[in-house]
Amino acid sequence: MSQFRSKKLDIGGFINARVIRDHTKRKVFEQYEPDRQALRYIIRNTSLPQRVRAQAQLQLSTMHAYTRPTQIKNRCVAGGIARSVFRNFRLARYQFRMQALAGELPGVRKASW
Amino acid sequence: MSFISPYSCLLRATRSLQLATASRTLSSSSRFRIVADAKFPVVPSSNDKLQPLTQSQRPVESPVKADGNSSVETPVKEWANRLTDINFNTRLPRSVQALYLRPLRRKAEYGLPVCDLQLRSYSVRNLEFFADFAIRAAYYLKLPVSGPVPLPKITERWTFIRSNFVHKKSKENFERITTRRLIQIKDGNPQAVQAWLAFLRKHAFYGIGMKANVWEYESLDVGKNMDDTLPAVEKNLEPHLSRFGRQQTETSPTQKPLSDFLGNERLSLKKGPLVKVRSV
Repeated sequence: MSQFRSKKLDIGGFINARVIRDHTKRKVFEQYEPDRQALRYIIRNTSLPQRVRAQAQLQLSTMHAYTRPTQIKNRCVAGGIARSVFRNFRLARYQFRMQALAGELPGVRKASW
Repeated sequence: MSFISPYSCLLRATRSLQLATASRTLSSSSRFRIVADAKFPVVPSSNDKLQPLTQSQRPVESPVKADGNSSVETPVKEWANRLTDINFNTRLPRSVQALYLRPLRRKAEYGLPVCDLQLRSYSVRNLEFFADFAIRAAYYLKLPVSGPVPLPKITERWTFIRSNFVHKKSKENFERITTRRLIQIKDGNPQAVQAWLAFLRKHAFYGIGMKANVWEYESLDVGKNMDDTLPAVEKNLEPHLSRFGRQQTETSPTQKPLSDFLGNERLSLKKGPLVKVRSV
């Protein structure tokens, strides 16, 4: 959402609308994580009155979608692709192949066994 | 050219001399070429700053004359002899010689492990080299060492489709093999171990990762010692621990009491059956 998006570009690498969106979501989640955890704690704490807990549930559900960790999706650093992105290199398969064949990934070789 | 040191000039002169001596058996045409080569270092001597250089270049001039006159060859022979002497009749310094031999080791007296250093790399050559370096460094720090133990390799493999549509069934495999070596230090002084680790970090080799587990041994009343050191530890930890706690931003609900945070008046006004707050 635009209210969360930074006015200036604050990431490097491959830039794409979707990449920027994902980056914004990560930042928002980081910012609101303590609040979410506090609410989650209240909801689960059985020693608190039921009313308070229900209130906390409502609060949590009304928080913005961008504060949810499930909104975050790993994206390829070099191509912006969201599918088949490998955690070790943060690259999707096509970029990985290209870079590996060019010898840009340290230690990665064509395997045959 | 004015920055040529007399030493480099000398080196150049001797090199040309070597050529001259080697080409004695060759034809006269090749000798001419060498004469021209031998003249080369004379050129910068025209500069005023390089006046003392002409001293060192004197032996160069002699082979030039020697071409025509065979009686003046004796100094040339001396030079050549000296050079061969360096190659055959002298030895390298012991420290340099040791590099060609297996690394020296100290003998462990008690065999208590003090530090485990694990080296990791994708290339075996670099890893072997650096493990060797680490062992030699440990010898000079008087640390008894065991290793390098070759730990099992870590093989990671990835399979990708070569193309995304028709040729989807054709795959390509990539792998990354991490080789590891373990170097264990036995009953060394903890400070010497720290110095060794610092030295290795200072001279870290490219493409090699290091991980060290250091053990310290205490006397039996550990608890008392820990109690004694507690105030100092607390003082050190204070800047870190002070970062924990409540968030100080506007969005943070934790600044206010919980009832305020969760809905404020509505909670207090509407008194339902479940509202009896125990202790918030």
